[in-house]
Amino acid sequence: MRLARRLLLLCLCQAIACWGDSEPYRREVHLKVVSGPNGSLPNLLHVRAVGHSDAIHYVWGTLGAPTVVLVYSNSNESTLDVNWTKLFSPFPSGAVRIEPAESILYSTAIVFSKIFEYDDGNNTANFSGTSESSFYPAYNLADFVWGDVNKTLNSTALRAEFQGVNASDPAKAFQNGSVSFRVFAFEEGSRDPIAPRLLYTANCSKLEFVITEVAPRGKNSRFALEMVTLERKGRRKSMDSVWSIDDEYTPTIFEMAQLSSELQNDSQVQAFLQWKAVAYGDPSGGRDEAVPCQYHRLQNVSEAWPLPGLAVAFFGGDVREHYSVEALNISFGVADGEFYEKHNYLIWSALLGFGTPPRDSFSTLVIVIMAVALATPIVLLIVGFITMYILKKQRYSDYEPIN
Amino acid sequence: MSGCPVISRESHDRWGGMAEREEQEALLEGSGDGDGAGERLRSTGESSGMSAVCDPSRFAHRLVVLLIMCFLGFGSYFCYDNPAALQIQVQRDMKVNTATFMELYAWYSWPNVILCFFGGFLIDRVFGIRLGTIIFSLFVCIGQVIFATGALCNAFWLMEAGRFVFGIGGESLAVAQNTYAVSWFKGKELNLVFGLQLSMSRVGSTVNMNIMGWIYSSIESMIGAAGPKTLGISLMIGAVTCLFSLACALILGYLDKRAEKILNKEQGKTGDVIKLSDVKDFSLSLWLIFLICVCYYVAIFPFIGLGKVFFMGKFQFSSQEASAVNSIVYIISAPLSPVFGFLVDKIGKNVIWVLSAVATTLAAHLILAFTFWTPWLAMSLMGISYSLLACALWPMVAFVVPEHQLGTAYGFMQSIQNLGLGVIAIAAGAIMDTRGYLFLEIFFVACLCGSLIAVVMLYFVDNMTGGDLNLSATKRRKLQRLTAIEKES
Repeated sequence: MRLARRLLLLCLCQAIACWGDSEPYRREVHLKVVSGPNGSLPNLLHVRAVGHSDAIHYVWGTLGAPTVVLVYSNSNESTLDVNWTKLFSPFPSGAVRIEPAESILYSTAIVFSKIFEYDDGNNTANFSGTSESSFYPAYNLADFVWGDVNKTLNSTALRAEFQGVNASDPAKAFQNGSVSFRVFAFEEGSRDPIAPRLLYTANCSKLEFVITEVAPRGKNSRFALEMVTLERKGRRKSMDSVWSIDDEYTPTIFEMAQLSSELQNDSQVQAFLQWKAVAYGDPSGGRDEAVPCQYHRLQNVSEAWPLPGLAVAFFGGDVREHYSVEALNISFGVADGEFYEKHNYLIWSALLGFGTPPRDSFSTLVIVIMAVALATPIVLLIVGFITMYILKKQRYSDYEPIN
Repeated sequence: MSGCPVISRESHDRWGGMAEREEQEALLEGSGDGDGAGERLRSTGESSGMSAVCDPSRFAHRLVVLLIMCFLGFGSYFCYDNPAALQIQVQRDMKVNTATFMELYAWYSWPNVILCFFGGFLIDRVFGIRLGTIIFSLFVCIGQVIFATGALCNAFWLMEAGRFVFGIGGESLAVAQNTYAVSWFKGKELNLVFGLQLSMSRVGSTVNMNIMGWIYSSIESMIGAAGPKTLGISLMIGAVTCLFSLACALILGYLDKRAEKILNKEQGKTGDVIKLSDVKDFSLSLWLIFLICVCYYVAIFPFIGLGKVFFMGKFQFSSQEASAVNSIVYIISAPLSPVFGFLVDKIGKNVIWVLSAVATTLAAHLILAFTFWTPWLAMSLMGISYSLLACALWPMVAFVVPEHQLGTAYGFMQSIQNLGLGVIAIAAGAIMDTRGYLFLEIFFVACLCGSLIAVVMLYFVDNMTGGDLNLSATKRRKLQRLTAIEKES
């Protein structure tokens, strides 16, 4: 009975959602590479998603480790301003700004700092429990050489790609391979056609982290990605899992991981990074190539760690005084699973956005099947009893009195 | 899962139903021929001076025979669910997706779509029970060895071929096992024997579920790597249980032959007469029973086939725990089947029992689909309702079919059950690959709703045509007494 009620409620919610969706929220999205003076290669990508009265800016750059700065502004005319001389100087503080500055309501940054590689001889995929000696020297993404993002820019499909190789490549692992960060922006909400088929809105952008043909340093290599997040002190950054019974779009994956920032006394989410707990060992994203992934708890980053140029340029040299800097690891692979070596390929997708993170709901097909399947026997039972009652009554009334 | 457990499990139920009917009739007629035969056996046995264990007419000897009889099916029950116990390993080592993996079950079902009609015929007319049992055991053995060789050679098609051969033996072996039981225990401890064989089949399945993973990892650490070879060796070890069962078949054949000489008893017969032309006389009620059967079992066995990975994926169970919860259905039904059998016999009202069983299974699937509640709850519910359904559904056939068509009706029921299981197994694998577990569960829920619709229709059809499917046991007895009196006068 409770289940039935719950289903009914779900149907209603779905109906309302469908009705609400009839005019999906749209943003006007501009994706462009900000060109530097006299052909220098700053690799600064600016995504500007303009709404009715606000704008979300994503500024991607590879000055240092790949970094994305997310800015929410309450002015739909806010713009990005870059001071190139300052940016390339030893003190880039304030070189990258969103104008007007007072329109900025929120800003944060995520730095993709390192790729760990470790030998998982026992096939347990226990990243945090692996001894130091099993780790190969980590790839520091700040040392990578990144290709020209202008060449991969597609401003109609709203996508671009940062492709990098290890500058000093002692093990010759990057002879044919590379590491990429692909950026996708969206004008309106929909569902990604490729696995893990994330549901997105106009308030999101998608990033894909891809390792292609990078030679593993061992037969049993597994990888992990380290990210560093910046969050203004007084706000709370939290990492949690949302478990859903619905795996229709990402077969067999029930966990959605979410890194979100909230005001201390307000549960309203401001920015989020959201991903399904899965990566894939193959570009097709088939279920048999799924590589479940695991996140590990947030850790404070030591003061000594140098922030990448773009973060300093936007947040200022004294960023650590106002912002807490925390690191998060995501490890790819599951116990008894395939190793990276099988395809020499790994792709992991996540949504970066502002506002309420999207949540999956049952597809209409599921609801229709459930409704029809459960209702038919009940209807049949009721109709049957009524018919039987009428027939019996008729039979009795047909009897003539004996006398 | 149409397999051995399924089929033979169900053919046990079918035989239970038939045995009971025979007993009732015997009582009505006043002279039980089974009892008569028993008397005869006992008197001949006493005349020869043998120790109790060697004397075929004594209980002690029958106990030995019972033990061997129970282990006769152990190998095929054990190996039938090998794929479910090793799903992850099979899919990883043989590099197949879930739909292809489920073909292993489908290939077991295909030969039985036809063989259900002929198993009895082959035993009665062609081989005889002894030779028949040995031949079917051989098929099981060879099938499992081919299956394992397929893994060793990294040839999935060979594994499928192995399952096909295994399927030829598996179902018919169960029929043979039942025939032996009737031949040795009719008029004595027959219901108990059926009960024990049933429990034994579930023990085989359970042991398999919980031990194969361990065997695989032991082999893996011994040869140092996982791969088709590891899988092949593990399955070869599984084949030892089939060899053991083959040995039982040989010993049983010898003992039966010996008993025949000493007691002048005839070779057991299934008594199945299959006439396909009977199909046109089948009533609407019978077709509805078929529908209930197919729709119900396709939501149980293909689900258990995929269960282990489901519990690991959705509920984060460890491999061992997932195996354990996956086998709980079998564990529960082992002790419960006799209890429910007794209850349904005493109370009657089969349609209501079937209705509650289907509804409970539906609830179990809904819990698995829509909640993160512990699967122990849902699987226990499924185990209980599954046992109840078997006890209430299979005897119903005997109420809607004249006795001379009973063999055809049961053959037909098992045949379409196998067809359904084969098709649905593949479909379930494909659904899981492309749409995930929620959709798979919805699919099973839809199947169960189909079954529920059929039960509801059966209730009304039976009620309006004045059938006695849903009568209480007391009313049924009164009716039977009346017909008996009418017959006499």
